[in-house]
Amino acid sequence: MTQIWEVFRQEEKGGYHTHCGNVHAPDREMAKQFAAVQHGRRKPTNSIWVVPKDEVGEIDGDDVSFGGTTDKGYRWTTAYNLQTRQAEEVEESDAEQQDAEQRRGEA
Amino acid sequence: MDIETVKERAGPREFNPADDLPEEYRKAATRMIEFHANSEIMGAYLERPFIRQAPSIDRKLAFSAKVQDEIGHGQLLYRAAETLGIKTREEMLDDLANGDGKFLNCFHYPMDSWEETPMIAFFVDGAAMRRQATLRRTSWEPYAHAMDKVCFEEGFHVKHGEDILATLMSGSRAEQRRTQEAFEEWWPRIIQFFGPTDDKSTHHDFAADVGLKQMTNDELRQAFLDMYVPKARNYGLELPDYPRVHQNDDGRWVVEEDDLDWDEFFTVARNNYEPGIGQIDGRARAQEAVEWVRDAIESDATPQSGKAPQAAD
Repeated sequence: MTQIWEVFRQEEKGGYHTHCGNVHAPDREMAKQFAAVQHGRRKPTNSIWVVPKDEVGEIDGDDVSFGGTTDKGYRWTTAYNLQTRQAEEVEESDAEQQDAEQRRGEA
Repeated sequence: MDIETVKERAGPREFNPADDLPEEYRKAATRMIEFHANSEIMGAYLERPFIRQAPSIDRKLAFSAKVQDEIGHGQLLYRAAETLGIKTREEMLDDLANGDGKFLNCFHYPMDSWEETPMIAFFVDGAAMRRQATLRRTSWEPYAHAMDKVCFEEGFHVKHGEDILATLMSGSRAEQRRTQEAFEEWWPRIIQFFGPTDDKSTHHDFAADVGLKQMTNDELRQAFLDMYVPKARNYGLELPDYPRVHQNDDGRWVVEEDDLDWDEFFTVARNNYEPGIGQIDGRARAQEAVEWVRDAIESDATPQSGKAPQAAD
């Protein structure tokens, strides 16, 4: 019996497998082949995972308030205004957090 | 894959669970990641009492968020270690409880006063972050991925720690004196965070050859000193007389390593340091005390009524 398999593609070695679509297939082997053809041909691909759709659990913004319901500014680097030079790796974390904070705000 | 192939291919994020890796690699990676995971857990337990002892609501919230993060980092790392197929998460947690699991030297020392908190939250976390940033390029991909998330979060910890230090060092004279005393007590341990010099380090060569470690102890210690000695001084902290530390003509800081107590370091490393045993046993008791929670989660019983369970946000 054919079923739906969710497809996750990793672009390059060491990267993350991210969801890129799904395929119909009767079994895991066929799902891998279809996924390779449909999702691995044009975009850069190092590896593909296929997962039966029924095995995927989902939780969304209607079920839960992501990030909480109260101000948790104290969890962010931006809450600490030190006016001192920071180590390179702290700067990097700071930049990543500012980016995440901004995108959360836009979402 | 044989060990020579591993050494040839070794590079950032090169190996993942789909690779057939030799036991020697998997054991070395397990030892390293398990040590790291244990350290996250033991560090969290060391700081936990300060959620209660924090002097303000802001500090209390920040410490509680931080302890939560550290426990989360431990869990991420146990998963990254478990995929190597050498030890299960349960085995690692049990070993930590029974005194076989190894962890960072600094977390063997008890912490009693608020003035001690920036020694961990600023200096030790700053040292840890230096090291972790290099591990984003480790050869075991699940470990590198765990480091991406850890480094993302850790910037808050270090800046929060520095903020506590800044407040204390601009506080009353008594606060400044107590902070200086805490610094003198912790400084040698903080230097020892990076372990002995490379010629005394036991595991470095292999870990470097297979790409697990990206920088040597010496390089990491040097980068830490160059960044954090000036920071300590800017806040008015004075370096203790021992270990002797001096600045070279090129501006780099150098420590007289023989001034450090390496006997104590290795006693600590072997889990034979008395106060450290207290820390291990304290965590073991905490693990035991919440066994009923694990049992309840694993049992089939579902709540009969009321609201659906939800994680704390």
